[in-house]
Amino acid sequence: MGGMHGHSDGAAHVATCADCQARAGLRGLDVDLNRVWIGVAGEVWAREVGWVERTAGRLLRSPGLARALLTTPSLLLSWLLASVAVLAIGVLATHTSGEPWVALLAPGLAGAAIAYAYGPGIDPAFELSRSMVVSDRVVLLARGLAVFALNALLGLAASLVAGQAVGLTWGWLVPMTMVSALGLAGATLARSANTGVAVALAGWAMIVLAGRAETRDLAAAVTPGDLLPLYFVGTALCLVAALYATNGRRSEVTLWR
Amino acid sequence: MTVIDERPAAANGANGHRPPNVAVRDLSQRFGRTRVLDGLDLEIGRGVFGLLGPNGAGKTTLLRTLATVLSPAGGSVRLLGFDPSDAGERRAFRRRLGYLPQSLGYYANFTVFEFVEYFALLKEIPAARVRPAVARAIERVELEERARAKLKTLSGGMLRRVGIAQAIVNEPDLLLLDEPTAGLDPEQRVSFRALLREFGARGTVIVSTHLVEDVGAACTEVGVMDRGRILFRGTPDGLVERGVGFAAGDSPLERGYGAVLAASRS
Repeated sequence: MGGMHGHSDGAAHVATCADCQARAGLRGLDVDLNRVWIGVAGEVWAREVGWVERTAGRLLRSPGLARALLTTPSLLLSWLLASVAVLAIGVLATHTSGEPWVALLAPGLAGAAIAYAYGPGIDPAFELSRSMVVSDRVVLLARGLAVFALNALLGLAASLVAGQAVGLTWGWLVPMTMVSALGLAGATLARSANTGVAVALAGWAMIVLAGRAETRDLAAAVTPGDLLPLYFVGTALCLVAALYATNGRRSEVTLWR
Repeated sequence: MTVIDERPAAANGANGHRPPNVAVRDLSQRFGRTRVLDGLDLEIGRGVFGLLGPNGAGKTTLLRTLATVLSPAGGSVRLLGFDPSDAGERRAFRRRLGYLPQSLGYYANFTVFEFVEYFALLKEIPAARVRPAVARAIERVELEERARAKLKTLSGGMLRRVGIAQAIVNEPDLLLLDEPTAGLDPEQRVSFRALLREFGARGTVIVSTHLVEDVGAACTEVGVMDRGRILFRGTPDGLVERGVGFAAGDSPLERGYGAVLAASRS
């Protein structure tokens, strides 16, 4: 910076300084230095896009949606490591106690993760997001599905490591869907991710404890059977609630108050 | 209540040659029992339109409706010739929209560039044009020195400029700005007004503000709102004329604004 003649060597300065352009022999040439500077600045200031984001962008056919996906709080590495740690404890507990702790923990984890996926209480720029070409509902769908799929994979891996019965290994998937929908509904209705987590965990705990009280079996909540209709109806109701909570009118009423 | 319309006869949309960029008919918004917009009619063409009004007048709700954040409870809206109630047209309209909300939430750990780039991507600017467009927007709001700074390290005025950068990154034809100058220092406000005039020369800019001097310096037209209705629309000079003889207010525009409000409430 700062040449002998007291002028900056920066492209931005040269772009507007006739003296510097004359010294550099650029005067009279058909060069839009400001445009060059903007191009250089864009490359210098940007962070490199990783292969995961590039791949996601191609698969989703939307770089914006890919970026929105990769900035999901509950898909960040720290969150995933915490989930793996909880499931590892579940594997240990299953081995030592014989109770299906992985199957009981997996839905709760997914519910918490979904509550932190997206919505007016999680995204500080939610109002702005609602005016974008890539709509907030599409972002919600992409993030919700990604978080759910990843948690299902983690739960499945933990179930296999824990050596649970085949019925139990798959038995938690349906309740996981309902608990995830419960977390999403709680988070979006209350505009608070923490509330969503609390609703999901409390709801799941109540189902598990009610099943245990009725059958004296801790695994009752994750054993397919009489509870299936409850899970399906619960999932549908929670998704409707989440859609209502993320429509413009509901958001506006809350903002306005 | 009578709306005072002092628009020039050749104002965009009024001459029959060019459809207005914003055409609102009988627009209403109601939250619970509260009527926020009350049968509002508005046509706005090219230029900078300043929206003045007291707190609770409905300015922010109007801008949210025009930004398609909020769907109308009643009436119709056409924006840049598009009908936003149709999903496809809404998407097409949003490509040409710039919006700065009153309270811009931000991601604390994003850099200035990342934040503006994120919204450029969500606006579906073609991939090859995103980085130059973001750099240009950052340069226009004079934040080049802080382009790689995290948002959590910026002052309130700088954050407001980041918000303006994301609003203009797609070179919008309709730019909606809700209290854009809040937190800007006087020098930045002067630069910002030049930016408004630049966008107003080729599209429509609607600025909601409490600062009457912004309207006088940058706006080609002004509207005064109260209780969900437009009480006055015309040129800043027209508003000044309305204030002749009105005592309250430190400047001619403030006196005009006060006179319009007082007349509507008397």
